[in-house]
Amino acid sequence: MLPRADDEVSGPIISQVRRFAARAIDARAIDRDAAIPREVLSGLAELGLFGLTLPEAFGGSGCSLATACGVIAELARFDRSVAVTLGLHLGLGTRGLTAFGTRAQHERYLPGLASGACLAAFAATESGAGSDLSTLQTNASDVGAGLRVNGEKIYVTNGGLAGLYTIAVATPGLGGSARGQSLLLIERGDPGLQVAPEEHKLGLRGSSTTGLVFDSMLLPHERVLGEASGGARELGIILSWGRTLMSAGCCGAARAALEKVASHLSTRRQFGRPLAALEVVREQVALLTARVFAMEALVDEVSRESEKALLVRSLAAKVFSSEGAWAIVDGAIQLHGGLGFIEDTGLALLLRDVRVTRIFEGANDVLLAHLGASELLQTSPPPRAALSEATASAALASAAAALASASPEALASPSAAALASASPEALASAAAGAEALAQQVDALQKSLQARFRIGVFRQPRWLHRLGAACVWREAIDAALRRARASGRADEVAQVSLLTQAARAAVSTLSAEPPPRELYDLCLRESLPRPEGR
Amino acid sequence: MRPDPTATVDDRVLYIISQLVPVQPSQIRAEQRLREDLGMDSVGSMELLSMLAEELDLDIGVEDITEVHTVGATIALAKTFLARKAG
Ligand SMILES: Cc1cc2nc3c(=O)[nH]c(=O)nc-3n(C[C@H](O)[C@H](O)[C@H](O)COP(=O)(O)OP(=O)(O)OC[C@H]3O[C@@H](n4cnc5c(N)ncnc54)[C@H](O)[C@@H]3O)c2cc1C
Repeated sequence: MLPRADDEVSGPIISQVRRFAARAIDARAIDRDAAIPREVLSGLAELGLFGLTLPEAFGGSGCSLATACGVIAELARFDRSVAVTLGLHLGLGTRGLTAFGTRAQHERYLPGLASGACLAAFAATESGAGSDLSTLQTNASDVGAGLRVNGEKIYVTNGGLAGLYTIAVATPGLGGSARGQSLLLIERGDPGLQVAPEEHKLGLRGSSTTGLVFDSMLLPHERVLGEASGGARELGIILSWGRTLMSAGCCGAARAALEKVASHLSTRRQFGRPLAALEVVREQVALLTARVFAMEALVDEVSRESEKALLVRSLAAKVFSSEGAWAIVDGAIQLHGGLGFIEDTGLALLLRDVRVTRIFEGANDVLLAHLGASELLQTSPPPRAALSEATASAALASAAAALASASPEALASPSAAALASASPEALASAAAGAEALAQQVDALQKSLQARFRIGVFRQPRWLHRLGAACVWREAIDAALRRARASGRADEVAQVSLLTQAARAAVSTLSAEPPPRELYDLCLRESLPRPEGR
Repeated sequence: MRPDPTATVDDRVLYIISQLVPVQPSQIRAEQRLREDLGMDSVGSMELLSMLAEELDLDIGVEDITEVHTVGATIALAKTFLARKAG
């Protein structure tokens, strides 16, 4: 669970959300109708959830990002469209206004946003500017009487529902900057704004996604949010909140899939035995369980970070949780057999809904390269105790053996055995594994620095690999800290098990990849290399 | 157009910047900030230094650099490393 159920602030709110969601949310109906019923939205509003992270002075509850993540994770266990609608409002939709808005902007917008009378949306993506947001074409120029805005945005979550849009535009010349970007606040009723029809999507069908057209709009100067032409920096801060909330939704979806697996496997019998007794099945479920644990640990930890640390750590949380959620829902379908493919089980919907999370809020491959570069830019990584490879491997093997001999119930639900305290040896071995993993990542980084010098920043495939290695290290470290805090034997064992997978993955990532020319040759006919950079 | 190897360091730096952002070398000035004025993020500015090292054949390590914030600082950095190389 994310955060832990005993968290003083979040616990009661999350319990309320769970009761409401169990009673009011019908995920299959939302998917079928491609809309969230009014009563669900008004129910969220009555619970005060639209104001959860907004300042108390304007009708919000002033809760932390961590609490909001707990709420989004809980909602995502019931329906991802509802979680995305609220998550977008609390994250990308209102974070900019809360953090950078003027007093007048707060007074004008926050009360309506906090009560849920007005929903928020955020629009950066354009048809020509997706992963690379430095090339925005939508622009605003100062025409004396105000700002003239022209352009189009695509894929705007909450686009059809929102009353307030934060948009990122190019503002050459504004604030004395040659190529600056700025954030603007657009109201639904502003003349010159057109909201395009709803998109038809693979998943998240209940979540509104539209385009926006700005046709020679004239906006008052007061609609600039934050610093004129300071948009690129502000965008980074807003996106890091949005990513973290989205990651929490991935945790909820993965947890829902895992719950379905446990209940299915404990009743389904084949070969004269419950599936839960089959060794290969048990290994798979243990790994899925460990992965969800690490996702929750990482996202919860990241959601408590300072604004600065969140900028980088949210990248790892986003990639790990979205890749994890996809793998876990896929694994859950596999373990359900044919039943998993049938809509009634709810897994098919989870899979369709989770697919986009590897793409939106920054495509994972783009974020990985960015993370790899950020790692290289970090001047002082946290110090770690040295530990030999051999010790780590031996310790890992013993912890994995302990997990393999655990009872079936211990894997399916937190039984008394699972809740028992981990032995000091198990804890030490989990820590040793995490340490060895960190050393592997460190070695990869050092080897790249020595080999390419500053030129490493023009080695996207190595940056990508280093980023992926960092994601594993971040996840294992967070999981270890959470397991250490609880002292639970099952959690410590999960960390050890997942660390084995992480170490194997990082070994592969550190190996020399085939030369570029080999790939080019493979693609000679189908996709010749384009000219230029 | 790509400046020849005898061009000044300033011209060569401006050319490299123009390869990374859609701005003509003639419009780039020393006081411009890489991020706010030219839209480059911290990773972009490292890519710039990396291209610079290649173009001017400089041996720059990741540990050698601090973030540069302006075009002028980038030119100055290139000159420092050129001087180090010369002597
Ligand atoms: C349902 C939905 C909701 C969305 N909501 C919003 C919203 O509310 N606001 C908003 O502004 N945007 C939103 N988006 C847009 C989303 O953030 C973008 O789709 C995403 O950032 C990717 O951009 P793109 O689609 O242009 O893909 P492209 O940039 O065209 O990239 C396509 C693919 O190419 C690969 N790729 C690209 N660049 C690199 C690289 N440097 N290295 C390695 N691989 C690379 C990746 O595999 C990537 O997925 C939404 C999208 C969807 C589908």
